Amino acid sequence: MGVLENRFQDNVVVASMDKLLGWARSTSPWFFQFGLACCAIEMMATAASRYDLMRIGMIPRSSPRQADVMIVAGTVTMKMSLRVKKLYEQMADPKYVIAMGSCATSGGPYWQYGYHVLKGVDLVVPVDVYIPGCPPRPEALIEGLLKLQEKIQAERPLTKKIA
Amino acid sequence: MSSDQDKLIAESVEKALQGDMDAINNIEDRVTRSKAKAALVKANREAKAAVAEETPRAEKSKAEEAPQAEQTFAAQVAVALEKKFPGSLDTEDVNGHIQMKGEQWYEAAQYLRDNPDFLFDSLQCVTGYDYGTSEDLEVRYNLHSMTHHHAIEIRIKIDRNDSKIPSVEQVWRIGDWFERETYDMYGIEFVGHSNMTRILCPEDWAGWPLRKDYETQEMYHGIVVPKVKDGWE
Ligand code: SF4
Repeated sequence: MGVLENRFQDNVVVASMDKLLGWARSTSPWFFQFGLACCAIEMMATAASRYDLMRIGMIPRSSPRQADVMIVAGTVTMKMSLRVKKLYEQMADPKYVIAMGSCATSGGPYWQYGYHVLKGVDLVVPVDVYIPGCPPRPEALIEGLLKLQEKIQAERPLTKKIA
Repeated sequence: MSSDQDKLIAESVEKALQGDMDAINNIEDRVTRSKAKAALVKANREAKAAVAEETPRAEKSKAEEAPQAEQTFAAQVAVALEKKFPGSLDTEDVNGHIQMKGEQWYEAAQYLRDNPDFLFDSLQCVTGYDYGTSEDLEVRYNLHSMTHHHAIEIRIKIDRNDSKIPSVEQVWRIGDWFERETYDMYGIEFVGHSNMTRILCPEDWAGWPLRKDYETQEMYHGIVVPKVKDGWE
Protein backbone atom coordinates (compact mmCIF):
# COMPACT_ATOMS: atom_id res chain seq x y z
CA MET A 1 0.00 0.00 0.00
CA GLY A 2 3.04 2.17 0.07
CA VAL A 3 2.30 3.55 -3.35
CA LEU A 4 -1.06 4.98 -2.36
CA GLU A 5 -0.28 6.15 1.14
CA ASN A 6 -0.40 9.91 1.67
CA ARG A 7 -0.95 10.61 -2.00
CA PHE A 8 -4.60 11.61 -1.65
CA GLN A 9 -6.56 13.90 0.63
CA ASP A 10 -8.69 12.53 3.49
CA ASN A 11 -11.97 10.73 2.69
CA VAL A 12 -10.95 9.67 -0.74
CA VAL A 13 -11.42 6.02 -1.54
CA VAL A 14 -9.67 4.37 -4.37
CA ALA A 15 -11.22 1.36 -6.03
CA SER A 16 -11.40 -0.27 -9.37
CA MET A 17 -14.55 0.54 -11.29
CA ASP A 18 -15.37 -3.17 -11.63
CA LYS A 19 -15.22 -3.76 -7.92
CA LEU A 20 -17.19 -0.62 -7.18
CA LEU A 21 -19.95 -1.72 -9.52
CA GLY A 22 -19.90 -5.21 -8.08
CA TRP A 23 -20.17 -3.85 -4.58
CA ALA A 24 -23.05 -1.55 -5.49
CA ARG A 25 -24.96 -4.26 -7.33
CA SER A 26 -24.46 -6.96 -4.79
CA THR A 27 -25.51 -4.95 -1.77
CA SER A 28 -28.88 -3.90 -3.10
CA PRO A 29 -30.37 -6.75 -5.08
CA TRP A 30 -34.05 -5.89 -4.97
CA PHE A 31 -36.14 -8.95 -5.45
CA PHE A 32 -39.26 -9.56 -7.39
CA GLN A 33 -41.96 -10.71 -5.06
CA PHE A 34 -44.21 -13.43 -6.28
CA GLY A 35 -45.01 -16.56 -4.37
CA LEU A 36 -46.27 -19.67 -6.12
CA ALA A 37 -46.85 -22.17 -3.33
CA CYS A 38 -45.85 -23.14 0.20
CA CYS A 39 -42.25 -21.93 -0.21
CA ALA A 40 -43.61 -18.42 -0.58
CA ILE A 41 -44.59 -18.49 3.08
CA GLU A 42 -40.95 -19.03 4.03
CA MET A 43 -39.94 -16.24 1.68
CA MET A 44 -42.41 -13.90 3.35
CA ALA A 45 -41.10 -14.94 6.76
CA THR A 46 -37.58 -14.18 5.57
CA ALA A 47 -38.61 -10.75 4.40
CA ALA A 48 -40.48 -9.98 7.60
CA SER A 49 -39.00 -8.51 10.76
CA ARG A 50 -37.52 -11.61 12.44
CA TYR A 51 -35.13 -12.43 9.60
CA ASP A 52 -35.28 -8.99 8.02
CA LEU A 53 -33.98 -9.17 4.47
CA MET A 54 -33.51 -5.40 4.53
CA ARG A 55 -30.27 -6.10 6.41
CA ILE A 56 -28.68 -7.31 3.22
CA GLY A 57 -30.24 -4.61 1.11
CA MET A 58 -33.14 -6.62 -0.29
CA ILE A 59 -36.49 -4.97 -0.76
CA PRO A 60 -39.45 -6.72 -2.38
CA ARG A 61 -40.61 -5.05 -5.58
CA SER A 62 -43.95 -5.68 -7.18
CA SER A 63 -42.86 -4.99 -10.72
CA PRO A 64 -40.34 -6.95 -12.76
CA ARG A 65 -39.05 -3.65 -14.15
CA GLN A 66 -37.71 -2.60 -10.76
CA ALA A 67 -36.30 -5.92 -9.68
CA ASP A 68 -32.83 -7.42 -9.99
CA VAL A 69 -33.46 -10.86 -8.53
CA MET A 70 -36.33 -13.20 -9.17
CA ILE A 71 -36.90 -15.63 -6.31
CA VAL A 72 -38.96 -18.46 -7.75
CA ALA A 73 -40.59 -19.59 -4.51
CA GLY A 74 -42.80 -22.58 -5.06
CA THR A 75 -44.28 -25.01 -7.51
CA VAL A 76 -44.18 -23.80 -11.10
CA THR A 77 -47.03 -25.32 -13.08
CA MET A 78 -46.92 -25.64 -16.84
CA LYS A 79 -49.50 -22.88 -17.02
CA MET A 80 -47.33 -20.60 -14.92
CA SER A 81 -44.08 -21.52 -16.63
CA LEU A 82 -44.88 -19.41 -19.68
CA ARG A 83 -45.70 -16.51 -17.41
CA VAL A 84 -42.50 -16.95 -15.40
CA LYS A 85 -40.56 -16.78 -18.64
CA LYS A 86 -42.41 -13.65 -19.68
CA LEU A 87 -41.76 -12.00 -16.32
CA TYR A 88 -38.09 -12.88 -16.53
CA GLU A 89 -37.88 -11.31 -19.95
CA GLN A 90 -39.43 -8.14 -18.60
CA MET A 91 -36.74 -7.65 -15.96
CA ALA A 92 -33.93 -5.22 -16.75
CA ASP A 93 -30.33 -6.39 -16.94
CA PRO A 94 -28.43 -7.37 -14.86
CA LYS A 95 -30.88 -9.98 -13.63
CA TYR A 96 -30.55 -13.06 -11.50
CA VAL A 97 -32.79 -16.00 -10.66
CA ILE A 98 -32.93 -18.02 -7.47
CA ALA A 99 -34.71 -21.38 -7.53
CA MET A 100 -36.05 -21.75 -4.02
CA GLY A 101 -37.14 -25.17 -2.79
CA SER A 102 -37.14 -28.53 -4.48
CA CYS A 103 -40.19 -27.69 -6.62
CA ALA A 104 -38.46 -24.85 -8.41
CA THR A 105 -35.22 -26.87 -8.56
CA SER A 106 -36.52 -30.15 -9.93
CA GLY A 107 -40.27 -30.48 -9.63
CA GLY A 108 -40.07 -31.51 -6.00
CA PRO A 109 -42.73 -33.94 -4.79
CA TYR A 110 -44.32 -33.76 -8.24
CA TRP A 111 -41.25 -34.84 -10.16
CA GLN A 112 -42.75 -38.11 -11.38
CA TYR A 113 -46.53 -38.04 -11.40
CA GLY A 114 -47.22 -34.32 -11.50
CA TYR A 115 -48.31 -34.06 -15.11
CA HIS A 116 -48.88 -30.33 -14.81
CA VAL A 117 -45.71 -29.32 -12.94
CA LEU A 118 -42.62 -27.90 -14.57
CA LYS A 119 -39.69 -30.14 -13.63
CA GLY A 120 -37.36 -27.38 -12.57
CA VAL A 121 -37.54 -23.71 -13.41
CA ASP A 122 -34.17 -24.01 -15.20
CA LEU A 123 -36.11 -25.44 -18.13
CA VAL A 124 -37.43 -21.96 -18.89
CA VAL A 125 -35.05 -19.42 -17.31
CA PRO A 126 -31.34 -19.53 -16.38
CA VAL A 127 -30.87 -20.10 -12.65
CA ASP A 128 -28.01 -18.66 -10.61
CA VAL A 129 -28.53 -20.23 -7.21
CA TYR A 130 -30.44 -23.37 -6.23
CA ILE A 131 -31.68 -23.67 -2.67
CA PRO A 132 -32.64 -27.19 -1.60
CA GLY A 133 -35.36 -27.87 0.96
CA CYS A 134 -39.07 -28.41 1.12
CA PRO A 135 -39.44 -25.66 2.10
CA PRO A 136 -35.99 -24.22 2.83
CA ARG A 137 -35.80 -22.46 6.15
CA PRO A 138 -35.26 -18.70 6.09
CA GLU A 139 -31.64 -19.30 7.11
CA ALA A 140 -31.18 -21.41 3.99
CA LEU A 141 -32.73 -18.71 1.83
CA ILE A 142 -30.44 -16.10 3.37
CA GLU A 143 -27.48 -18.40 2.77
CA GLY A 144 -28.51 -18.65 -0.86
CA LEU A 145 -28.85 -14.89 -1.13
CA LEU A 146 -25.38 -14.39 0.35
CA LYS A 147 -24.05 -16.88 -2.20
CA LEU A 148 -25.72 -14.82 -4.91
CA GLN A 149 -24.11 -11.68 -3.52
CA GLU A 150 -20.71 -13.36 -3.71
CA LYS A 151 -21.43 -14.30 -7.28
CA ILE A 152 -22.43 -10.78 -8.22
CA GLN A 153 -19.38 -9.35 -6.48
CA ALA A 154 -17.09 -11.61 -8.45
CA GLU A 155 -18.40 -10.32 -11.75
CA ARG A 156 -16.25 -7.96 -13.77
CA PRO A 157 -18.79 -6.12 -15.89
CA LEU A 158 -16.32 -3.63 -17.39
CA THR A 159 -13.40 -5.91 -18.00
CA LYS A 160 -13.17 -7.09 -21.56
CA LYS A 161 -13.28 -10.81 -21.74
CA ILE A 162 -10.51 -12.41 -23.74
CA ALA A 163 -12.13 -14.81 -26.06
CA MET B 1 -80.32 -21.13 62.59
CA SER B 2 -78.63 -23.80 60.56
CA SER B 3 -81.77 -25.84 60.14
CA ASP B 4 -83.63 -22.68 59.10
CA GLN B 5 -81.01 -22.09 56.46
CA ASP B 6 -81.23 -25.67 55.22
CA LYS B 7 -84.98 -25.41 54.98
CA LEU B 8 -84.76 -22.15 53.03
CA ILE B 9 -82.24 -23.64 50.63
CA ALA B 10 -84.29 -26.78 50.11
CA GLU B 11 -87.41 -24.75 49.42
CA SER B 12 -85.80 -22.35 46.98
CA VAL B 13 -84.05 -25.18 45.10
CA GLU B 14 -87.36 -26.94 44.82
CA LYS B 15 -88.90 -23.79 43.33
CA ALA B 16 -85.93 -23.20 41.01
CA LEU B 17 -86.22 -26.72 39.66
CA GLN B 18 -89.76 -25.86 38.68
CA GLY B 19 -88.43 -22.87 36.74
CA ASP B 20 -88.69 -20.08 39.31
CA MET B 21 -85.13 -18.74 39.67
CA ASP B 22 -86.37 -15.72 41.63
CA ALA B 23 -86.74 -17.87 44.70
CA ILE B 24 -82.97 -18.24 44.86
CA ASN B 25 -82.09 -14.79 43.58
CA ASN B 26 -84.24 -13.16 46.26
CA ILE B 27 -82.40 -14.74 49.19
CA GLU B 28 -80.97 -11.86 51.22
CA ASP B 29 -77.94 -13.52 52.77
CA ARG B 30 -75.08 -13.92 50.27
CA VAL B 31 -73.68 -17.08 51.80
CA THR B 32 -77.08 -18.76 51.85
CA ARG B 33 -77.72 -17.69 48.28
CA SER B 34 -74.50 -19.21 46.95
CA LYS B 35 -75.15 -22.38 48.93
CA ALA B 36 -78.57 -22.58 47.37
CA LYS B 37 -77.10 -22.15 43.90
CA ALA B 38 -74.60 -24.94 44.52
CA ALA B 39 -77.41 -27.16 45.69
CA LEU B 40 -79.35 -26.36 42.54
CA VAL B 41 -76.43 -27.34 40.31
CA LYS B 42 -76.12 -30.60 42.19
CA ALA B 43 -79.83 -31.32 41.92
CA ASN B 44 -79.72 -30.61 38.17
CA ARG B 45 -76.82 -32.96 37.69
CA GLU B 46 -78.57 -35.75 39.56
CA ALA B 47 -81.69 -35.22 37.51
CA LYS B 48 -79.67 -35.47 34.29
CA ALA B 49 -77.92 -38.65 35.41
CA ALA B 50 -81.28 -40.19 36.17
CA VAL B 51 -82.49 -39.33 32.67
CA ALA B 52 -79.33 -40.67 31.08
CA GLU B 53 -79.78 -43.97 32.83
CA GLU B 54 -83.12 -44.36 31.21
CA THR B 55 -82.15 -43.29 27.71
CA PRO B 56 -79.87 -46.04 26.35
CA ARG B 57 -82.80 -48.23 25.58
CA ALA B 58 -84.66 -45.44 23.84
CA GLU B 59 -81.59 -44.45 21.80
CA LYS B 60 -80.96 -47.99 20.74
CA SER B 61 -84.35 -48.33 19.20
CA LYS B 62 -83.81 -45.00 17.43
CA ALA B 63 -80.50 -46.18 15.98
CA GLU B 64 -82.16 -49.27 14.65
CA GLU B 65 -84.68 -47.19 12.82
CA ALA B 66 -82.25 -44.62 11.44
CA PRO B 67 -80.78 -46.33 8.34
CA GLN B 68 -84.23 -47.35 7.30
CA ALA B 69 -85.44 -43.76 7.56
CA GLU B 70 -82.54 -42.59 5.38
CA GLN B 71 -83.26 -45.19 2.77
CA THR B 72 -86.86 -44.28 2.67
CA PHE B 73 -85.90 -40.69 2.05
CA ALA B 74 -83.75 -41.52 -0.98
CA ALA B 75 -86.52 -43.85 -2.11
CA GLN B 76 -89.09 -41.09 -1.60
CA VAL B 77 -87.11 -38.77 -3.85
CA ALA B 78 -86.72 -41.54 -6.41
CA VAL B 79 -90.43 -42.26 -6.42
CA ALA B 80 -91.26 -38.58 -6.81
CA LEU B 81 -88.80 -38.27 -9.70
CA GLU B 82 -90.16 -41.34 -11.42
CA LYS B 83 -93.69 -40.01 -11.06
CA LYS B 84 -92.83 -36.57 -12.42
CA PHE B 85 -90.41 -37.70 -15.12
CA PRO B 86 -91.32 -41.26 -16.15
CA GLY B 87 -88.32 -43.23 -17.31
CA SER B 88 -85.78 -40.80 -15.90
CA LEU B 89 -84.33 -43.30 -13.45
CA ASP B 90 -81.54 -45.58 -14.60
CA THR B 91 -82.34 -48.19 -12.00
CA GLU B 92 -85.10 -48.45 -9.43
CA ASP B 93 -82.59 -49.80 -6.98
CA VAL B 94 -82.06 -46.97 -4.50
CA ASN B 95 -79.11 -47.53 -2.25
CA GLY B 96 -78.49 -44.18 -0.57
CA HIS B 97 -78.14 -42.47 -3.92
CA ILE B 98 -80.25 -42.14 -7.04
CA GLN B 99 -79.00 -43.39 -10.39
CA MET B 100 -80.54 -41.27 -13.14
CA LYS B 101 -80.43 -40.95 -16.88
CA GLY B 102 -79.04 -37.77 -18.38
CA GLU B 103 -81.84 -36.74 -20.74
CA GLN B 104 -84.20 -35.05 -18.30
CA TRP B 105 -81.60 -34.02 -15.76
CA TYR B 106 -82.00 -30.26 -16.27
CA GLU B 107 -85.77 -30.37 -15.65
CA ALA B 108 -85.34 -32.82 -12.80
CA ALA B 109 -82.77 -30.51 -11.18
CA GLN B 110 -85.21 -27.62 -11.32
CA TYR B 111 -87.89 -29.83 -9.85
CA LEU B 112 -85.65 -30.95 -6.99
CA ARG B 113 -84.72 -27.37 -6.21
CA ASP B 114 -88.22 -25.91 -6.30
CA ASN B 115 -90.46 -28.68 -4.98
CA PRO B 116 -91.48 -27.66 -1.42
CA ASP B 117 -90.98 -31.23 -0.20
CA PHE B 118 -87.32 -31.29 -1.20
CA LEU B 119 -86.05 -27.71 -1.66
CA PHE B 120 -82.51 -28.77 -2.56
CA ASP B 121 -81.24 -25.21 -2.70
CA SER B 122 -77.57 -26.05 -2.41
CA LEU B 123 -75.40 -27.97 -4.84
CA GLN B 124 -72.48 -29.00 -2.68
CA CYS B 125 -70.26 -30.86 -5.06
CA VAL B 126 -69.98 -32.12 -8.60
CA THR B 127 -67.63 -35.04 -9.06
CA GLY B 128 -66.49 -36.91 -12.12
CA TYR B 129 -65.80 -40.63 -11.97
CA ASP B 130 -64.11 -42.96 -14.39
CA TYR B 131 -64.97 -46.66 -14.11
CA GLY B 132 -62.09 -47.82 -16.30
CA THR B 133 -60.61 -47.46 -19.75
CA SER B 134 -63.45 -49.23 -21.54
CA GLU B 135 -66.24 -48.38 -19.10
CA ASP B 136 -68.54 -45.45 -18.65
CA LEU B 137 -67.89 -42.12 -17.04
CA GLU B 138 -70.15 -40.84 -14.30
CA VAL B 139 -71.07 -37.50 -12.80
CA ARG B 140 -72.17 -37.29 -9.21
CA TYR B 141 -74.10 -34.41 -7.72
CA ASN B 142 -74.39 -33.87 -3.98
CA LEU B 143 -77.47 -31.87 -3.11
CA HIS B 144 -78.40 -30.47 0.26
CA SER B 145 -81.39 -28.56 1.53
CA MET B 146 -80.78 -25.69 3.90
CA THR B 147 -84.44 -25.68 4.88
CA HIS B 148 -85.07 -29.37 5.51
CA HIS B 149 -81.50 -30.37 6.36
CA HIS B 150 -81.57 -33.39 4.15
CA ALA B 151 -79.18 -34.46 1.45
CA ILE B 152 -79.15 -36.72 -1.57
CA GLU B 153 -76.66 -37.90 -4.14
CA ILE B 154 -77.60 -38.13 -7.80
CA ARG B 155 -75.42 -40.19 -10.14
CA ILE B 156 -75.61 -40.07 -13.90
CA LYS B 157 -73.65 -42.41 -16.15
CA ILE B 158 -72.47 -41.24 -19.56
CA ASP B 159 -70.74 -42.85 -22.49
CA ARG B 160 -67.02 -42.04 -22.45
CA ASN B 161 -66.90 -41.51 -26.22
CA ASP B 162 -69.86 -39.14 -26.26
CA SER B 163 -69.58 -37.56 -22.85
CA LYS B 164 -72.33 -34.97 -22.88
CA ILE B 165 -74.72 -34.07 -20.09
CA PRO B 166 -77.13 -31.15 -19.55
CA SER B 167 -75.59 -28.33 -17.52
CA VAL B 168 -77.25 -27.27 -14.28
CA GLU B 169 -75.32 -24.03 -14.10
CA GLN B 170 -78.56 -22.11 -14.54
CA VAL B 171 -80.22 -24.03 -11.70
CA TRP B 172 -77.45 -23.67 -9.13
CA ARG B 173 -75.02 -20.86 -9.97
CA ILE B 174 -72.23 -22.61 -8.05
CA GLY B 175 -72.41 -25.28 -10.73
CA ASP B 176 -70.48 -22.94 -13.02
CA TRP B 177 -67.02 -23.69 -11.63
CA PHE B 178 -67.85 -27.23 -10.49
CA GLU B 179 -68.79 -28.17 -14.02
CA ARG B 180 -65.81 -26.42 -15.53
CA GLU B 181 -63.51 -28.36 -13.22
CA THR B 182 -65.19 -31.65 -14.11
CA TYR B 183 -64.85 -30.73 -17.75
CA ASP B 184 -61.20 -29.87 -17.24
CA MET B 185 -60.36 -33.18 -15.57
CA TYR B 186 -62.66 -35.65 -17.36
CA GLY B 187 -63.63 -34.01 -20.62
CA ILE B 188 -67.31 -34.26 -19.76
CA GLU B 189 -69.11 -31.60 -21.73
CA PHE B 190 -71.92 -29.82 -19.93
CA VAL B 191 -74.33 -28.78 -22.65
CA GLY B 192 -75.85 -25.37 -22.00
CA HIS B 193 -73.03 -24.09 -19.83
CA SER B 194 -72.31 -20.43 -20.60
CA ASN B 195 -68.52 -20.77 -20.58
CA MET B 196 -67.42 -24.35 -21.08
CA THR B 197 -63.64 -23.85 -20.94
CA ARG B 198 -60.82 -25.31 -18.87
CA ILE B 199 -60.47 -23.83 -15.42
CA LEU B 200 -57.19 -25.20 -13.99
CA CYS B 201 -55.08 -26.56 -16.81
CA PRO B 202 -53.82 -24.21 -19.54
CA GLU B 203 -56.37 -23.56 -22.27
CA ASP B 204 -54.29 -25.42 -24.86
CA TRP B 205 -53.57 -28.49 -22.72
CA ALA B 206 -54.14 -31.83 -24.41
CA GLY B 207 -56.13 -34.63 -22.82
CA TRP B 208 -58.18 -35.15 -19.68
CA PRO B 209 -55.85 -35.76 -16.71
CA LEU B 210 -58.17 -37.76 -14.43
CA ARG B 211 -59.34 -40.24 -17.04
CA LYS B 212 -57.82 -43.67 -16.58
CA ASP B 213 -56.40 -43.73 -20.09
CA TYR B 214 -54.71 -40.34 -19.80
CA GLU B 215 -51.18 -40.01 -21.10
CA THR B 216 -49.15 -36.91 -20.36
CA GLN B 217 -48.09 -34.99 -23.41
CA GLU B 218 -44.36 -34.97 -24.18
CA MET B 219 -43.94 -31.28 -24.93
CA TYR B 220 -45.78 -28.12 -24.01
CA HIS B 221 -44.71 -24.99 -25.93
CA GLY B 222 -41.26 -26.46 -26.40
CA ILE B 223 -40.86 -27.43 -22.73
CA VAL B 224 -40.34 -31.05 -21.77
CA VAL B 225 -43.21 -32.20 -19.56
CA PRO B 226 -42.13 -35.57 -18.09
CA LYS B 227 -38.50 -35.39 -17.10
CA VAL B 228 -37.86 -38.76 -15.51
CA LYS B 229 -34.21 -39.58 -15.81
CA ASP B 230 -32.89 -43.04 -16.66
CA GLY B 231 -32.30 -45.20 -13.64
CA TRP B 232 -34.58 -43.19 -11.35
CA GLU B 233 -37.50 -45.06 -9.94
S1 SF4 C 1 -40.51 -27.27 -2.42
FE1 SF4 C 1 -41.95 -28.10 -0.90
S2 SF4 C 1 -42.50 -26.30 0.32
FE2 SF4 C 1 -41.60 -25.54 -1.58
S3 SF4 C 1 -43.31 -25.19 -2.95
FE3 SF4 C 1 -42.56 -27.26 -3.34
S4 SF4 C 1 -43.83 -28.58 -2.05
FE4 SF4 C 1 -44.05 -26.50 -1.29
